[in-house]
Amino acid sequence: MPAERAGYTVTMFLIDVSPSMGATRSVELPPTPNGEPRTTEMTNLEWALQFVKLKIQEMIFNGRKTDQCGVILFGSEETENIIHEKNGGYQHVSEYIPIAQPNSATLSKLDALQPSEYSGDPIDALIVGIETQDIYLNKKRTWTRKIVIVTDGQSPMEIEDWEATVKKMNSLEISLTIIGVDFDDDEFPFHEEDKSTIKVENEAFYHKLTSALDNGLVGTCIFALQEISRPDMKETKSALMGTVLRLGDVDVRPEEAIEILVKASKCTALARPKSWKKFCRREKTDDEMQVDEEEMTVFAQLKMRSEYYIDRSTQEGEEQDKMDTGSDDEEDKDKNLEKVEKEQLIRGFKYGSTYAPCPDGQFRRLNTRKGIDICGFFHAKNFRRELAMGEVQYIWADPGAPQQQVALSSIVQGMYEKGVLAIARWVSKDGMDPKMGVLEAHVDKNIDFLLWVQMPFADDVRRYTFASLENLVSKNGESVTKHPYLPTEDQLEVMGKFIDSMDIMDSGEKDDKGKPIPWYDTQQSYNPAIHRTKQALFHSAVVNDITSNPLPPPHPELLKYINPLRQALEASKDVITECKAVFKVKEVPKKATKVRKDGHVRAMDEDEDMLLLDKKPAVSRKGKEPAASQVPVSPKLARPAKKSAASDSETEEESDQEPLLLKKRPFNALPTPERSMSPDVDPGRAPGRIIGSTYLLRDFKTNLAQGDVVTKAVEDIGVIIKDVVLRPFASRRHKEMIECMIAMRDTSLKEDEIDAWNAFLKDLKESCLREAGNSEFWQEVQKLGRSLSLISEPEARKLGGHSQFSESASEAFITQ
Amino acid sequence: MPPFDDWNIIDEEEEQELQDAAFFEGKRDVILFCIDCSESMHELRDDPNYEDVKTSHLLTALEAAMQIQKKKVIVGPNDSVGIVLFNTTRSSETKNHATEIKKNSFVYQPITIISAPAIQELIQLLDAAREDPDLLKSTFPPLKGKKMPMGDVFTSCNWVLRDGAPKTASKRVLLITDDDNPHPGSKQLVTSARTTLLDLTQSGVQIEPFFISTPEKPFEPSKFYSSVLLSSVLNDEDEDNGVLPESISITRIDDLLSQMRFHEVPKRAMFSIPFQLADGFVISIKGYGLVTEQRKGTYKYFVDLGDRMEVANSRTVYVDEDQQAEVDKTEMLYGMALGAAPVEDVSDDEGEGVDTVCRAVPSGKRPFYTADEIKSFRTLDLEPGIKLLGFKDRKELAFEDNVKHSVFIYPDELKYSGSKRTFAALLKKMIEKKKIGLVLALTRRNSAPVFCAMLPQAESTEEGGWNEPAGFHIIPLPFADDIRAAPLDQAFRAPDELKDAARVWIDKLCVKDGAYPPDSYPNPALAYHNAQLQASAFREEFDPEAFEDLTRPKYDMIHKRAGNLMKEWKKGLLADESANIVPVTTGSKRKADVSVDEAEIRSKHEVGALAKLRVDQLKVSSGCS
Repeated sequence: MPAERAGYTVTMFLIDVSPSMGATRSVELPPTPNGEPRTTEMTNLEWALQFVKLKIQEMIFNGRKTDQCGVILFGSEETENIIHEKNGGYQHVSEYIPIAQPNSATLSKLDALQPSEYSGDPIDALIVGIETQDIYLNKKRTWTRKIVIVTDGQSPMEIEDWEATVKKMNSLEISLTIIGVDFDDDEFPFHEEDKSTIKVENEAFYHKLTSALDNGLVGTCIFALQEISRPDMKETKSALMGTVLRLGDVDVRPEEAIEILVKASKCTALARPKSWKKFCRREKTDDEMQVDEEEMTVFAQLKMRSEYYIDRSTQEGEEQDKMDTGSDDEEDKDKNLEKVEKEQLIRGFKYGSTYAPCPDGQFRRLNTRKGIDICGFFHAKNFRRELAMGEVQYIWADPGAPQQQVALSSIVQGMYEKGVLAIARWVSKDGMDPKMGVLEAHVDKNIDFLLWVQMPFADDVRRYTFASLENLVSKNGESVTKHPYLPTEDQLEVMGKFIDSMDIMDSGEKDDKGKPIPWYDTQQSYNPAIHRTKQALFHSAVVNDITSNPLPPPHPELLKYINPLRQALEASKDVITECKAVFKVKEVPKKATKVRKDGHVRAMDEDEDMLLLDKKPAVSRKGKEPAASQVPVSPKLARPAKKSAASDSETEEESDQEPLLLKKRPFNALPTPERSMSPDVDPGRAPGRIIGSTYLLRDFKTNLAQGDVVTKAVEDIGVIIKDVVLRPFASRRHKEMIECMIAMRDTSLKEDEIDAWNAFLKDLKESCLREAGNSEFWQEVQKLGRSLSLISEPEARKLGGHSQFSESASEAFITQ
Repeated sequence: MPPFDDWNIIDEEEEQELQDAAFFEGKRDVILFCIDCSESMHELRDDPNYEDVKTSHLLTALEAAMQIQKKKVIVGPNDSVGIVLFNTTRSSETKNHATEIKKNSFVYQPITIISAPAIQELIQLLDAAREDPDLLKSTFPPLKGKKMPMGDVFTSCNWVLRDGAPKTASKRVLLITDDDNPHPGSKQLVTSARTTLLDLTQSGVQIEPFFISTPEKPFEPSKFYSSVLLSSVLNDEDEDNGVLPESISITRIDDLLSQMRFHEVPKRAMFSIPFQLADGFVISIKGYGLVTEQRKGTYKYFVDLGDRMEVANSRTVYVDEDQQAEVDKTEMLYGMALGAAPVEDVSDDEGEGVDTVCRAVPSGKRPFYTADEIKSFRTLDLEPGIKLLGFKDRKELAFEDNVKHSVFIYPDELKYSGSKRTFAALLKKMIEKKKIGLVLALTRRNSAPVFCAMLPQAESTEEGGWNEPAGFHIIPLPFADDIRAAPLDQAFRAPDELKDAARVWIDKLCVKDGAYPPDSYPNPALAYHNAQLQASAFREEFDPEAFEDLTRPKYDMIHKRAGNLMKEWKKGLLADESANIVPVTTGSKRKADVSVDEAEIRSKHEVGALAKLRVDQLKVSSGCS
């Protein structure tokens, strides 16, 4: 399609509102999410108006002042048009929307249209349309004129002088499109059964009319509605930007240096989907309720506003930071934020934690001169295609200067012949930051030009190390030839066959010479995001309810490259089966490894975290929690001990600090047992804990045997017992926990960890008896009575220790 | 300075684009330099760059640490760095530092966000050490006669990191030593080093060793380290794959800094997604951005609190202006801009507000989409992944089929076992057959699908230098929407003589076996900006004279090699008949264009104007061009 000049157009929509347009029809909707077909009822007028509205929406979307339209009705009750005013006649034709740039009000006015009780003559409307348009364009002769008639073809027409009308339209270069409700179309194909005689005649006339016109078309409405979602391109002609191509030092050695006047224009430019505006349903106030006659919901467009805050919490010292670890982090943070006014702000830079003032908000820029400087040439075969960084630009010789054209042409041809690219430094305007790139020579049929693409600076290249895929080296420095990571000969052979079978070099359409071309052409691959978003934007602008009138499916053209070509898939069917058999790729079950990792690791490869985001909340610092992962527990419930007594928070605090001070960690002391453990069993050891939740008694005893970690061991086992007990479904481990408590008490008594036991037990009791605690467990503890209660002073003294509790206090503690 | 409102407007369209960069900027990186301070590291040597100057491995290592800090502070202003020295008898006085660390290791810089004063302190130390070669030895006296157990070194690192590193940061220890066998004969110390290192790794810390090798004392990793170091992947199955970890640098001391530069930024995958070769034939890959435009850091807004400057963070809220109510993201709906409310006929259903545009629909109806719905329009409801569509010849990937930078993909054995061998086989066969892949890629849940060329890269194993890794480059192809038509299709063409005259100087200026060398072109504007930033942070004067732009053409070389030939070519151009062509003919020589539209008239007008201009050009030509 030749590029039309955008804008400078007046489109007249002539809409049939005769009674027959009120007939209802059943319209297919896209299936429900469950795949059930859906339909809805609407009048022919509503249905056909969708086309008009989508067309007008497109004008609103493009937002050109010179893209205007007007709406004329035929079959309207009133008669209100310029010809009638002057000469009379032309009944039931009225100018509904005067010619102007359309806006949202245009659409809502169309929404208000209802079929009338009168019938109107489309030819009358056409003549009124031509006249109205002509008067409006009196001083704008060069504008494009378009007329669209939307009708069901059921009303009688006065067709006497139609040839004169055609003549007039051709002289004004008007293009006419007839959108017919249920018109027949052999190509689409569509055929209406039981068509009325008048409609048959009218359709025939419309075809006669449009074929007599230089520019006329009849389309059936259903096809028009489908085609309106066909991806179309706004052809953008890139502006030619003047610059200069240089080689050598033009200032110091001008007799040798070369300067050529050139123009740059975009060859590729990343197009983006149109942005969405944000809206919100407005809550109604009381007076509005009364004003509104019918129930309406109002949606207001939102505006963006930036606010500035400083975080006061960093000032108040470290403690604040440490507190902020719980789930109520957010709230705490908000409290510390202080809003500041824009006017108070000073622009500067951060240099690490240092403030770097910057007088005018910007540092001085590098002094550069506009132009493209060639730095050298290199062989095209050494071009690393993957380094190309951005959009591509054409470089043309100045179109008005033959000598410059010849000059550039000689260089382009020379480069082309030798097969080299140029390295070039581009400054788009004086003082702009330079870019490095390469220039490729293009010798076209009638013109020689260069293409430019930006290449990376040293700063732009990241050099990550990756393990070799071919050369594996064993730990003794020998090369490994057989390894699950290395493909075997068999595998290589099958892969070769796979590549051949999926080759699409001659799977496309045939070219002029009948030779098949490769499948997939960038020129025909439309960006689904852009076109689908646009379709959706338009749809929402012309319908009132997304739920009952959802967006129709994407145009097939948009999806043509989304899946591999069927022929290729068929050709490779067998080899794919073979591939699956020889490569034996298996999805690694997610379970064990992940949980385990997170149990140990707070931060790992960042991207892993991203993928595990949904799992994150379940991973508390306490390691593997089998029960918790089965039952969603809010973080608050999972850690009920947060706000308990002072002694408790002390232990919490310590538990974070302690491991750092610890002299020996069990990994040090006992290197082997951990490693040899079956990989499926997670010791459930949280970072900093020497005792895990899985085998806590065993861990406890192991540590005790080691001698110097008693305090830590007692503390850890206490924390873990409490942790286990307070988890959901703890009951199956009650017995085990009681055993642990017995061991812990015993050790505490003997190793003078009496205070630790007493604090632990008080805390445990409180936590168990609290709401969402585990009172059942406490009852089991109570059954054991005094032997598991607080360690009393008399008990302690026997072993040379001390306790603040009397014997009676201990008695009372366990029974109450 | 532009008005405040221009400062921080994030265009909505940009949101998507920004993800790329934000991904890197959002994460904090922590580096702990862990430097051997033993006698051999202190040993004085002649400086390779300056005469009569003595240096030592330790000095070079500290220098490298300083340089890396200077680079990092600019790339990631929130990154933290620390320096630990080991095998020194200097004991850690616990100055505002809670951690006790192992004997014979010393925390020179605890882990903190990089700051100008900390860098300056290190610079001063280095300057002083150059003046007085024995300074380092007296400041950090080496442990004599024995070595600290490496296990203790790793434990110290662990504690120092726990003390100062933010939980969510990526944490790395850069280990610098010249001793390939610290504990000869002690099996126990090897085991303990291995277990403590495992411990370190499991708390999320990566270790990246830099082993200094000298001709007289080559570094043999097999003596000690190959049994200590783990594969970098934290996975049990992987641990015993019997191959060496990927990131070991054995380097000459002169190359230490450049080796470290490779590790300046932590290796972070941008995405980790399945790669579907065919239905049911799926492997997993990770994507890395190897080429990303490094921009100047963004300015921040500060509030002067009297004693210090505090950064003000901005927050964007959406409000219904008539009601002055902030709207929660979850309640937002999305739709078409309503356009400006019609000025003349403000009807009632247009809403009562003057500023706010509203749309009213009968109750219970919803004319706008939810966030999920608009996401599905963008993604076509596809799940993240790369899908193979077919194979084409390598030559089908044209120069002009480019819109943005590529990403690099590498197999990930952890999600699909067998990924590596499948990937390796595909790579090898595609290289052999000179093919590229055509794929459809949706790399993130929130991005849009895009067609890409999949360009294989064979691994290169250059001795000593940088190794190109094996993998595929995923190059986004332009959509039809991104392609602009050529605005010109005809121009005067040079005769062969002139082409040949150009060809001779092109020959002279063509670098043999050359390629585009990114490393030779540091971004001058960025460096200029950063130099000023550093001067400002150090409270020093910035000297623009001292700045050198390495991207400027090497004029001397160009003129020396081809100056005369270029002059000859210019003579030929002036003698060419094109000098006499009246350029108006170009107008009629263009493709027949019957309609005379505005653009055409404009271009004719230009032609006329340019006829005049031509005279000037000719003057220029005869004078200097």
